[in-house]
Amino acid sequence: MTLRTDHVAGGAAIAAALAVLAVSGDLPFGTLAFPGAGMMPKLVCALMILFGATLVARGGASAPFSDIGWSDLPHAVRVLAVTAAAVALYTTLGFIIAMSLMLFALIAFEGRNPLAAVVYSVGVSLLTYGLFTLVLKSPLEQGILGF
Amino acid sequence: METVDSLMLGFSVALRPDVLWYGFLGCLVGTLVGVLPGIGPLSGISILLPITFGLDATKAIVMLAGIYYGSQYGGSTTSILMRIPGEASSVMTCIDGYAMARNGRAGAALCIAAVGSWIAGTFGVVVLTAIAPPLAAFALRFGPPEYTALLVLGLIFLAYMSSTSLPRTLLMAAIGLLLGTIGIDNLTGHFRYSFDIVELGDGIGIVPVAVGLFGLGEILSTPSATVVGQVMAPKLRELLPNRKEWRQSGWPIARGSVLGFLIGLTPGSAHIISSFLSYAVERKLSKHPEEFGHGAVAGVAGPESANNAASTGAFVPMLALGLPTGPVTAVLMAALIIHGVQPGPQLVNEHPDVFWGFVASMYVGNVLLLLLNLPLVGLFVNVLRIPYSYLYPLVIMFCVIGVYTVNNSIVDVWIMLIMGVLGYFLRKLGLDPAPLVLGLVISPTFELSLRQSLIMSNGYWTIFFTRPIALALFLTAALLLSLSLFALTRKHADWRTKLAEAEAGEGAQ
Repeated sequence: MTLRTDHVAGGAAIAAALAVLAVSGDLPFGTLAFPGAGMMPKLVCALMILFGATLVARGGASAPFSDIGWSDLPHAVRVLAVTAAAVALYTTLGFIIAMSLMLFALIAFEGRNPLAAVVYSVGVSLLTYGLFTLVLKSPLEQGILGF
Repeated sequence: METVDSLMLGFSVALRPDVLWYGFLGCLVGTLVGVLPGIGPLSGISILLPITFGLDATKAIVMLAGIYYGSQYGGSTTSILMRIPGEASSVMTCIDGYAMARNGRAGAALCIAAVGSWIAGTFGVVVLTAIAPPLAAFALRFGPPEYTALLVLGLIFLAYMSSTSLPRTLLMAAIGLLLGTIGIDNLTGHFRYSFDIVELGDGIGIVPVAVGLFGLGEILSTPSATVVGQVMAPKLRELLPNRKEWRQSGWPIARGSVLGFLIGLTPGSAHIISSFLSYAVERKLSKHPEEFGHGAVAGVAGPESANNAASTGAFVPMLALGLPTGPVTAVLMAALIIHGVQPGPQLVNEHPDVFWGFVASMYVGNVLLLLLNLPLVGLFVNVLRIPYSYLYPLVIMFCVIGVYTVNNSIVDVWIMLIMGVLGYFLRKLGLDPAPLVLGLVISPTFELSLRQSLIMSNGYWTIFFTRPIALALFLTAALLLSLSLFALTRKHADWRTKLAEAEAGEGAQ
């Protein structure tokens, strides 16, 4: 049997719903006259299992999973890793440094001129910081260095 | 007469220099958002939402709505000049708009798109002015059972209108509903799925989810090497269409306006669906269907008018019922709530200055957009020359700012990153993230009204079938569900399958 996209999507939905049900033990379902905090999540999980099972059952019409192109995966991983690092450092280093580093890394990974990347990254970060702080009166995060 | 007086009140608000300025700013940013591939109106609105915190509700909503309908205007520019849809609803404009540009009629295509958008946008606002207040007055009769029924109908309608399959759409909406249950339960005070993370006590915000799924998800699946294109730059004197082109665009604009507005009232990606349907209608009605794909004027005029009318139509359920029909109106609703204004039946009575100021600003905004889009087309073309490898890091930076600034919460930014990854995989599996956002938005209201209804009736679920409005809404939902299930079990392709095939086919070209 060929594994298809709907098989994967339906299977993932069922697994997610079962996982949520597993951590919902302390949430009371209540009664119809006084529904508890667990009623809605458990009903929705049941619906997710139903729709997931329907997708799996009717999955034959969807595209084969092996047909999905993954050529953009290296780009996605790179962007995600750089952005996650910048987010982790955001409150410590502040907006200007964290965002300058993020912009530089993302542009440098694209093979652009490093000097142009530095000028662009620092310039854009400073300009945005100034715009938000001075013009829009919506100050951005300051880091341990005070800016 | 009362409507005219109220509209005059609206114009007295909308024409105030400060409100006019924010309306202009929204239209300008919206046009840029529409022009730039990879940034949709949702990302644009979410990113600029924190900037509006210092403004009053009227200026905030005028500016944010300007971004929304401005992006519909701007999306046509990239479609016509580069064959890259700046916005999803401009996909159909790529086909004949770009063909017209290659035939040396780029200026005429841009002008027809702008004028069509203006006429459709203005038509939409006129109808909105007429029907939103009576609809809001009617909705005052709604109690919890009626709201439960209305939200169920909204979800079923979304699934019915969706170009992907029924179980896929409902599955995505269910995931959104589940995400919406995270946080403190309003009725019992239970913490649900917060895993000792204090920030999750308030639940998951719409902005991080929407920006992650749509903004970041799009960037993750678009490597810069795939964004190439040659920009054509029409001269100002080439902008006027000739008499034949005007004649060919008249009826398509009229049909697109009506069709777009009606589809805009329904939940789902109305502005996208309306442009696809308008294109199909025009090709069907044309005496020369063979011209479609080779620069047919109707192929530009119809879809461009339809997507603008749909974006205006989407404001009717949002303003009158407090019901978002898509992720963009959901974020706009969130913006109003942040400013202490609850959209819904009471809005027109409790905040007439906001309601009518907003409506009047759309008349003004459509004129501003017409004036902006034609003379400044050269400027927007230059923006398109910024290499994508410099542009997408900038978009990510604005995504981070936009999400972080809403609550000054780094947890929100992590949620955005997680949603970006989810959005990437959803694209790979061919699942539409829009129903997820809609499910997330309606989840708290849906849960509250469902539980209130059951408490009101002492546990008798028949309450949903003994009240006439709720019964009518449930019967409509059941009818739509039956139609969808019927289509699901039939071998032949119904109109949604054909639409999905057309979408996939055009996207592949």
